[in-house]
Amino acid sequence: MPKMDEAQKAIKINSLQEELTALIASVRTEKDVKKKRRLIAKIGDYNRKIDTLKSGRLLSRETKRDLVAYSFIAPNFIGFCVFTLIPIVFAFALAFMRWDGSNPIQWAGLRNFAGLWNDIFFKAALKNTIIYCIGTVPLTMIASLALAIVLNQKVMGRGIFRTLSFFPYVASLVAITAVWKMLFHPSKGPINNILYNVFHVSQESLPQWFTGSLVLLSMILFSVWKYMGYYMVIYLAGLQGISGELYEAASLDGANTWDKFRYITWPQLSSTTFFVVVMLTINCFKVYDIAIMLAGGGSGELTTSSTVLVYYIYQKAFIDWDLGYSSAVAMVLFLMVLVVTVIQFRGQAKRERA
Amino acid sequence: MKKKILSVLLAVAMMGTMLAGCGNNENDGGNSGSGSSGTGSTAASSTPDSGAASSGGTGDSAGAEPVTLRWAIWDQETTQYWGDIKAAYEATHDNVTIEMVDLGSTDYMTVLATELSGQGSEFDVVTVKDVPGYATLVQKNAIIPLDDYIKADGVDLEQYAGATDQVVVDGKLYELPFRNDFWVLFYNKDLFDAANVPYPTNDMTFEQYDELARKMTDTTFGSQVYGAHYHTWRSAVQLFAVLDGQHTILDGSYEFMKPYYEMVLNQEADGVARKYSDLKTEGLHYSAAFSGGDVAMLNMGSWFIATMITNLKSGEYDSQLCGNWGIVKYPHAEGVEPGSTLGTITGLAVTSATDTPDAAWDFVKWVSGEEGAAVMASSGNFPAIMTEEVVNLITGLEGFPTDDASKEALNVSNLYLEVPYAPNVSEINSVLDSYHGSIMSGEMSIDDGIAAMNTEVSKILGQ
Repeated sequence: MPKMDEAQKAIKINSLQEELTALIASVRTEKDVKKKRRLIAKIGDYNRKIDTLKSGRLLSRETKRDLVAYSFIAPNFIGFCVFTLIPIVFAFALAFMRWDGSNPIQWAGLRNFAGLWNDIFFKAALKNTIIYCIGTVPLTMIASLALAIVLNQKVMGRGIFRTLSFFPYVASLVAITAVWKMLFHPSKGPINNILYNVFHVSQESLPQWFTGSLVLLSMILFSVWKYMGYYMVIYLAGLQGISGELYEAASLDGANTWDKFRYITWPQLSSTTFFVVVMLTINCFKVYDIAIMLAGGGSGELTTSSTVLVYYIYQKAFIDWDLGYSSAVAMVLFLMVLVVTVIQFRGQAKRERA
Repeated sequence: MKKKILSVLLAVAMMGTMLAGCGNNENDGGNSGSGSSGTGSTAASSTPDSGAASSGGTGDSAGAEPVTLRWAIWDQETTQYWGDIKAAYEATHDNVTIEMVDLGSTDYMTVLATELSGQGSEFDVVTVKDVPGYATLVQKNAIIPLDDYIKADGVDLEQYAGATDQVVVDGKLYELPFRNDFWVLFYNKDLFDAANVPYPTNDMTFEQYDELARKMTDTTFGSQVYGAHYHTWRSAVQLFAVLDGQHTILDGSYEFMKPYYEMVLNQEADGVARKYSDLKTEGLHYSAAFSGGDVAMLNMGSWFIATMITNLKSGEYDSQLCGNWGIVKYPHAEGVEPGSTLGTITGLAVTSATDTPDAAWDFVKWVSGEEGAAVMASSGNFPAIMTEEVVNLITGLEGFPTDDASKEALNVSNLYLEVPYAPNVSEINSVLDSYHGSIMSGEMSIDDGIAAMNTEVSKILGQ
């Protein structure tokens, strides 16, 4: 860059300064909020230009600072790009292609998506995933909130109970599904034995917990039991953030326990609840391990009554090697999670404004 | 403004480095590609040598370049013959080193297909575990057709007794079988003796078999005996139906399976066999069921013979419970020749990514040939080539049942592959597996399940 002599520089600075003052004046008179914001941003640009000229440095202080910041982000971000972002973008593209992982990719247009509507296995997976979510999300939320409220009181052995209810979350999934399978074993399990011996359910009508229509119920119950401890901890943190004065004031006004919950605890926990529900929903849509472990049996194959979307994505991609089709299923899953999350964010934003 | 430019620059730089990375890879691929053609030609010129060597029996490998073959296998620890084959081949081929890569048995074909996707696979020879996996590899162009080699070296496909005909793809053969397992009926002689019931025979119809299983059953609590046991695999129940030779699982209409589902489900209901849903929940392995000493008859593949012999010898199975066992031929439908049974071939294939296809082929040919067969048989496994000698080797093993019926049971008259080749066989397999589960667990009635199989498979076949 040719060096400007001082006189030229001064002239440039002056002209910039003039433009800047004109800008500031126009900002004062501007009514439209959007335009105003844009003008203010422009003022910043001018200030920076003048600074650069005055100091005579190649990079302004701000740019330098930004570069340092970017260099700190870079290692993580590059990893994220290579292993997450690019595959995701690629998956979006793949949904419109036909590819088996080796042969050349072919354009398929919307054929993958059209195929979904006639696919019994996809429809079964979609239905099961939705039922599982509808069952699991509210139940887990209610269970974990109730646990948190009870264990937030000063009860005897509170620590032990907290630990106990957190335990299923920490325990290995494989180990506890094995225990559940023994408990609910269709002919030898204690649960069915109690049903048979105490409630005199006939042998033929004993519930088959891991097949048919009951398998989803088993999955829901299992998942509530396993994950309520985790969300209980989050709720406990939320509960401890509520000021005791609020309850004191409510007691003075003669509020009963239900009123306190209804008018203090619940509204105060709204942001915690929001977080819990969003996380739960996303995790529920992604269910795979629980289905495989509870209903997959030795071979890990799921029938139409227990198949879930993520399993179907895996099956289509790595058993049948139809990567395009499986990406299309993944897109459906993505859209569902996206829609649910957007709706929840909207609802939360509205509540916060109100 | 600047920020934006900067971020764009950063992004471009990143893309640049990444593309450079890809480019490098491609270069590598190119290099190895050209390298492969180079070594390919040298290997080709040495083919007559190696042919002569293998026919001569000893390695005339003086001057031959050292070759390392990477070979994909599973369960190296628990399966003896991988190591036996490697040792025997290396002993006669001085210049070849076999490097085994264990991919595990549970999802071997899935892992293998992933390994062979795209570029940069390093395998020269792969073991093909099942036909759906074979179909996948063929469609992915991951393995090469062997017809030219077969013709050049004059390999006689007749010796595989028709097994290779069932895996021909568009007139080309991509694998040679080295192991051939077929299904037989295992039975526990002690249980039959205790119940004073005559042993099963090599010539039983399904009605006689059902009757025998019911006769052996004891439902008294505490001393239960199950007349029969069916593992949760689809093959264990559904494929009774294809033994008449008129139907296959690729038909697209499956009404012919109904009588067999009825037989097995009725047996379950009457306590003759353990319930499918129980087995699924427990994940009970067939070997645990049979060695537990309360199962009178078990239909299973011949691989279980080697398992029985080894585990009884090592004391893992209690010989009090299952030490006195025997095998007979599969039961057969009315009017069908006895000895018709299901088979599964395990094959070897040469990858398209290999640098040394000729050395790889020589290995494949050797293992699936008579020399390999002898090695397989020495550890009680069934090679794809069944000669008199091989049968004698196996029946002569210590621990093999000594009665004549058990020896006679090894003579197979018709062998039907569990899964013959078809382009969509992997998807058809998934559909059939899924509805097999639905029928067996009682989620669907037999008729509904078969109707669903019909619609779904027809949809796949119609594509």
